[in-house]
Amino acid sequence: MELLSGERPTCVAPPMDSYFTLPVYILLFLTMYFEVFVLLTYFEERERFAASPLPARPPGKHPSVTIIVPAWNEGLTILGTVESLLNLNYPKDRLHIMIIDDGSTDDTLIIARRYDGHPQITVKTKENGGKFTALNMGIAEAHTDLIGCLDADSYVDRDALRHIIPYFDDPEVMAVTPSVQIHEPESVLQRIQSVEYMVGEFTRKIFSRINGLYVTPGPFSIYRRSIFAKIGGFIHAFNTEDMEMALRMQSHGMRIENAHDALVYTVSPATPKALYKQRVRWVSGFLKNAFFKYRFMFFDKKYGNLGVLTMPFAFFSIFIALFFSAMYVKNLFVLAYERYLKYSALGIRPPSFGWPEFDWFSLNLEFQRLLVYALFFATIFFIIMGMRMVLTKFVFTRNMLYFLLLYGLIAPFWLVTSLYNLITAKEAKWR
Amino acid sequence: MHPQQGVSTSKYTRVFFITLAIFAVVFLFSEYLYQKRLMQIGTIEDNINRSILESEIQYALLADASCDTEEGGNTLLINELNNLTKRLAYMEDQRGADDPEVIGIKKHYSLLQVKDYLLLRERTKQCGAKPLSVLYFYSNAGDCVDCKRMGYVLTSMREDYADLHVYAFDFNLGLSAVETLKSIYKLENRLPVLVVNRKPYYGFKTREEVEALLPELSFTKSTSTKATTTAK
Repeated sequence: MELLSGERPTCVAPPMDSYFTLPVYILLFLTMYFEVFVLLTYFEERERFAASPLPARPPGKHPSVTIIVPAWNEGLTILGTVESLLNLNYPKDRLHIMIIDDGSTDDTLIIARRYDGHPQITVKTKENGGKFTALNMGIAEAHTDLIGCLDADSYVDRDALRHIIPYFDDPEVMAVTPSVQIHEPESVLQRIQSVEYMVGEFTRKIFSRINGLYVTPGPFSIYRRSIFAKIGGFIHAFNTEDMEMALRMQSHGMRIENAHDALVYTVSPATPKALYKQRVRWVSGFLKNAFFKYRFMFFDKKYGNLGVLTMPFAFFSIFIALFFSAMYVKNLFVLAYERYLKYSALGIRPPSFGWPEFDWFSLNLEFQRLLVYALFFATIFFIIMGMRMVLTKFVFTRNMLYFLLLYGLIAPFWLVTSLYNLITAKEAKWR
Repeated sequence: MHPQQGVSTSKYTRVFFITLAIFAVVFLFSEYLYQKRLMQIGTIEDNINRSILESEIQYALLADASCDTEEGGNTLLINELNNLTKRLAYMEDQRGADDPEVIGIKKHYSLLQVKDYLLLRERTKQCGAKPLSVLYFYSNAGDCVDCKRMGYVLTSMREDYADLHVYAFDFNLGLSAVETLKSIYKLENRLPVLVVNRKPYYGFKTREEVEALLPELSFTKSTSTKATTTAK
């Protein structure tokens, strides 16, 4: 189609000079720096990312493990959670499960009581005090070498623990995180999250290789029991006790590993409202913990890559994500506006048939745009690597498209609220 | 195997230089493409210059010939002008309307349009016909939403009527030739404005309204459709 001047193709390329500012270049440089760092680390240690066969372990070499299942109104999912734990490929006499009902008002306790008398399971109840109090109760009563936690809305893969345990052969490893994935994603929102979690696993593995993990996720992170005597139990920590625990461990120089083959599936929020609340809690929790409690770690070489790279970037990434989302939304808006103008000028016109003409001239290959394309390809690489790690192969699914097209539209909602919460120090609600 | 403990200054430095190198390569590549575009535009401008010269000779030769001849216009020239229009729109979009190079190309483009318009007028005058042309004045300073809509209408008409000559001028370009056109037709700063058969029409016009201003179009439609099809 020919274009007359006055009909500028802003739908293809918005005026880039409006973005031509130094802060934008700094954001682009930081993003590129981080992605190069991630890719370089991956290529340095790529053999660590491959799927490994189930490690053989001689009898008698299995450390004892207690898995605490804190539950508050999880009547719908707790049975599946406990059954998946009972089904773990691990010696029964070395695995104990402690269900702690945190004052549920539904039938969680009644369901849990079905396991009374089970040789591997203890059921306890207490007044509602928050997840961290339930975990601390379990820690106080456990006497095993290792203590883990599994949220009562998550399910473990049969071999998850077998993949985690070998990491503890290294006496310096104090905690191991699993690969958390979405349980049976069905809705578009859950499919978007499933890809997000896969990318998350890739970056978590990278962070573990540079000792830069800042979260030990609630679903099935395993700790040495001895650490709690040294650094104390869980605290409220703005409703993100798992993040705070990881930061506290790191501040004490305790190493956290990631077992990417240890798969754990968690039930994801199905509605936009539930997702929004969950993410506001996570992001606000990170920001508040990082700024109010662990600010001293930022840019301090004493705390290694966590202090110099991963924590600062986790903070900057909020602004980077908001910038890219704003750019994306602007493009979509301009596209819609152009379509509207065209429709209002010409009405509905029959589409012209024939092959679309390719003209390289019309491709927007301006400097900033090319940088954004490069970052976009790096993101696709992260998705592919995440998929390969979790599914052990790469398959193109519509989930990828949903993620690429929609994530940038929904993330700003919780990012902006979390920043607002940080500025006003407004606490996020648990649910 | 232990993870990479501590901060490796050499790794951070390496990553910094790799990132810098990527920025440099991307910048150079982008500049290379821009220069290629300028060269392509230069080639198109050369083609237009040659086509105009050809047209001048052609019109001079046809001056004595019968007006019934099929040689009613230089389709090659129209195609080249359209080609340049399209590329200029992208250049303007990417570099901004204030970019000196874009303004330079735009001025040259406007002159070429005026030249083509004069030749067309000359030819039709010789034959006692009305030129099938529209002079379109627009502004892309952000003060004329209807200019975009008008642009869509004229683009769509040019696709359908191969013999229709649409000459688009930036009202605020500050080119003496455009200023002369503005004063000849006594144009006010109310955009968009179309000049058809020397008469200005202000404001947005629908496709039907423009077609009504050019009744000759109904005659040329079938031929132009054929011409467009065969040309491609």
